[in-house]
Amino acid sequence: MELSAIMKDKLNAGDNVVALHEGVLLQGWSPKAHRLLALVERNLSFGLFVFTTSRNPPQAFTDLTINFVVPIDSDFKCDIDSLSAESNSDIYINLSARNFKLFMGMDSGHETNHFFNELSRSMDLYLKNQQTLDFQWLKKYNINDIDLELGLMMNINGDNTSNNIITANMAVAENDISFPTGTQTLSSRESVIQRQMILSEEQYTNAQNFRIYIGTWNVNGQPTLSSLNDWLTCDSEPPDIYAIGFQELDLSKEAFLFNDSPREEEWLQAVTKSLNSKGNYKKVSLVRLVGMMLIVFVKNKHMDHVKNVATDTVGTGIMGKLGNKGGVAVRMDFHNTSLCFVNTHLAAHVEEYERRNQDYQNICSRMVFSNFIPPKTVKDHNQVYWFGDLNYRITEMDAISVKDLVRKNNFKNVLEADQLKQQHRAGNVFKGYKEGSINFLPTYKYDPGTNDWDSSEKNRAPAWCDRILWRGNSIKQLAYRSHPNLLISDHKPVSALFESEVRVVDLTKYRKIHEHIMKKLDKAENEYLPQVMVDNTEIIFHNVKFMEPQLKELTVANTGQVPVQFEFIKKLDDSTYCKEWLRIEPFMSFIDPGEKCDITLEVLIDKKSAYKMISGQDKLYDILVLHLDGGKDIFITVTGNYERSCFGCSLETLCYLKVPIKNIPFGKLMELENNKSNMTSDPYPVPKEVWYLVDHLYRHGLKQEHLFEHSGLRSEFVQIRNWLDNGTPDALPGSVHSVAEALLILLDSTSEPIIPYNLHATCLSAVSYYSQCKQIISQLPERSKNVFLYLCAFLQELLNHVNDNKLDVKTIASVFGEIFIRDPPRSRSDKSGHTRTSMSRKKTNFVYHFLVNDQSDLIINTSF
Amino acid sequence: MRRATDASLPTFGTMSSKASESKMSSSQYSYIFKYIIVGDMGVGKSCLLHQFTEQKFTADCPHTIGVEFGTRIIEVSGKKIKLQIWDTAGQERFRAVTRSYYRGAAGALMVYDITRRSSYNHLSSWLSDTRNLTNPGTVIYLIGNKLDMESNRDVSYEEAKQFADENGLMFLEASAKTGEYVEDAFLKTAQIIYECIQDGRLDLNAADSGVQQKILQCETNPNVEKDKSCMQC
Repeated sequence: MELSAIMKDKLNAGDNVVALHEGVLLQGWSPKAHRLLALVERNLSFGLFVFTTSRNPPQAFTDLTINFVVPIDSDFKCDIDSLSAESNSDIYINLSARNFKLFMGMDSGHETNHFFNELSRSMDLYLKNQQTLDFQWLKKYNINDIDLELGLMMNINGDNTSNNIITANMAVAENDISFPTGTQTLSSRESVIQRQMILSEEQYTNAQNFRIYIGTWNVNGQPTLSSLNDWLTCDSEPPDIYAIGFQELDLSKEAFLFNDSPREEEWLQAVTKSLNSKGNYKKVSLVRLVGMMLIVFVKNKHMDHVKNVATDTVGTGIMGKLGNKGGVAVRMDFHNTSLCFVNTHLAAHVEEYERRNQDYQNICSRMVFSNFIPPKTVKDHNQVYWFGDLNYRITEMDAISVKDLVRKNNFKNVLEADQLKQQHRAGNVFKGYKEGSINFLPTYKYDPGTNDWDSSEKNRAPAWCDRILWRGNSIKQLAYRSHPNLLISDHKPVSALFESEVRVVDLTKYRKIHEHIMKKLDKAENEYLPQVMVDNTEIIFHNVKFMEPQLKELTVANTGQVPVQFEFIKKLDDSTYCKEWLRIEPFMSFIDPGEKCDITLEVLIDKKSAYKMISGQDKLYDILVLHLDGGKDIFITVTGNYERSCFGCSLETLCYLKVPIKNIPFGKLMELENNKSNMTSDPYPVPKEVWYLVDHLYRHGLKQEHLFEHSGLRSEFVQIRNWLDNGTPDALPGSVHSVAEALLILLDSTSEPIIPYNLHATCLSAVSYYSQCKQIISQLPERSKNVFLYLCAFLQELLNHVNDNKLDVKTIASVFGEIFIRDPPRSRSDKSGHTRTSMSRKKTNFVYHFLVNDQSDLIINTSF
Repeated sequence: MRRATDASLPTFGTMSSKASESKMSSSQYSYIFKYIIVGDMGVGKSCLLHQFTEQKFTADCPHTIGVEFGTRIIEVSGKKIKLQIWDTAGQERFRAVTRSYYRGAAGALMVYDITRRSSYNHLSSWLSDTRNLTNPGTVIYLIGNKLDMESNRDVSYEEAKQFADENGLMFLEASAKTGEYVEDAFLKTAQIIYECIQDGRLDLNAADSGVQQKILQCETNPNVEKDKSCMQC
């Protein structure tokens, strides 16, 4: 089926696939993770879908999983970068939308142009039709579902505007060599949990109303009054929260230059004393910048639910820094709702409303609670209360008319000329904020100590400089008023009382939902563990023969969702991950999801392992541990049967074998090897196999040049081996070189060499003295001595034909030296002070004695 | 045997945007506990693991040829604990290899099948392996699985309970199929391990304690007010 048809099955009816493209998620060094991008349309609105595929190419819609669905709307951006691809035609695209970022690589092909044309067409269409477009159909794809989120294992990071951005951070990219199981980016896991908790907030919180009192007063640098009750205790019922802001608290040079003011403490005392006495309050925070001060109190009993309190200040005076103007703010989490209180003093002077707008913008962008990751700004709160001496005036109306109208309580007409109302309506300031209706006299400017309008020459129009605005849902203003009885300043204090809905956590429900999310995550995490299928966990090698390698293949398929690194690992107490006769290629590799890796197992029984197979020290059996990095282990059992051969048998055993080894039961052989057999018949003096080979060489090879120097053919070796093991009546096959090599291999495959390992050192120290060498030989086990002398006699005969075969006695001595005096396994030549060459020389010298001297005295006692 | 440990943890904290999160879901787990599950072939070890980690049950679950791995984060006394669970192959021929996996386990779940006496009879052999290959602090929990097959019961609760008591093991019967008591087995084991850590019976510094302690990130302290002078220009 064609891909677009498969995709159509996956989508809801009526949703049309417009264009498709394959891509890979990129992150860091990442192994690549395939994704399918689809542009889908419904009624002219478009969505971009990101799919993972469990099979590549997908065969049915069940092979597709939707990772992400993002609407192509004003938040959607797509940058294409083909310049960064130095070598080939790869292109890189950066997709971003609200809460979504994706960096992908693509092979550009003929469909690429189509895809991007359609994508940009969909973006254009959005701009044309945005008013009428409806993206509800995208919601049916459950993009918030946690499993889907995990499809990409996201990180929630903050960008500067502090929108939560979900970066498609590939879990797989984090797969350290060590242990990615569920630990890949814990922070991302936490982020997912947090995000899920936020999304399901309504399920574990209840709405509860709290009363919030906001007060603001420009005190014009005056010392404090003894009682502020008229202002702060004007409501009979005590509010739950007080946020009280002052401006021009201190106009002294000290305050301005050093931000140090005795007034702070005075006013704090006065405020504290004047809070509603029916409630017990505790100060949450106090923040001051020069003359701007903000104090927040909550009822004692709520203190446990106040968390993450933070403050910041912004100066907007000259150079945008000085603190004579600006704002101070306190933020806190109250139960499950975030609150922010902002007390500001904006630019003065009647005409300067644009500067006031600018101050507002400045404070919005520069007020940052930076101890949060990501840092929070004012608008990142559920509720914001913004107040202070905002300094907006009445223009377009002269002072006399204003005074006249307000005297008649005709505020409406005057407020038409209020700069803040005008600017707010025009959308130049306080976007998203609300203000209650004003039914109180302008709060500025009075002659201090009176309720009389400013009598100075300026004769300014009175204005509502002091204001309280809010932002957020479910906030009801209960009162908005001024307090004209407080006379000390040229401003009147203003206050507002709110009934605000706060989300209060139901701990039981919270735990339940949290646990539910955790479980889902754990589940998903387990599903994202590396998974593979191995096509065969029982590898059987039939009839393995000496020196004949056998191969078997094993396929490991990555059936999971993440790239897998596998490795064969050692079992406890083992030094290698497999037996010495086995080779695994590759023993470690990477497999991308949906991909496979073929592993070759090669068994080779050679001279190092053959004698162990014969004696039962080892067998063709091993359990391999295939370890998936960060995941499970799979055991692969390797078994087989080894065909017994004379190669690997001890000389002693071979001497007792009067029939071909094929006809000797394995058990019998093992008994012989372990000297547990009671053989009644007399053994041969030398193994018949040695005799056959030597006899062949004696008859056909005496005049052969380079005998024991040229190597034989592998295929002929196999024939010779079969001939020896099976005992065929035909003549011994193979060239003399192959026969010569077979002889050397036979002697080299025994568990003990002719000079036993325990005499190795003695032997090497005796080489200077022939008599000592002879002494050693005479003490050898009988069969070893026989073979040694038999071979020396043969070699002497061979050397009698030097004229024909051009052999060199030293070369022959050297070849046989290595065979007769085989180094013990893992011998450290440097330990005994011998270098490899000096050892070889000694071995050669040892054999040399026996090739140039007559050994009839030794042979006398030996009967062939 | 080489066994990699947890990847390094991020060092910074994320303060949540909601009040409750920073209070209730401290951003990390405190410990990692390693568990092993052992017992005869076919007693339902892998099913117990899957039920616990993925809340699912697969009938005719294939025999484990190797060692399965699962993980889950749980909470004990308000502390988050990550469980790393190794589910071993039960086949006798793998016994020598699975022995490698016991080391460093903080908890061992020893499972038998209540409908199959032979699996119960082999417990002493599993127990001796467990005792020999783990450290003395390892909590061993005996689980009689297949509680859903009561009518085929072959080993009585009392008999197994007595065996558990005599050997100082925790014991319960559970059903990987229905999920009954599965959580209990894993959670109680963690609880006991946690108690052992609290009262010092389990030495975390011992290499094979099976517990890794995570250093909790320090939360940012929003109460420290910035010292901002008005004269910054």
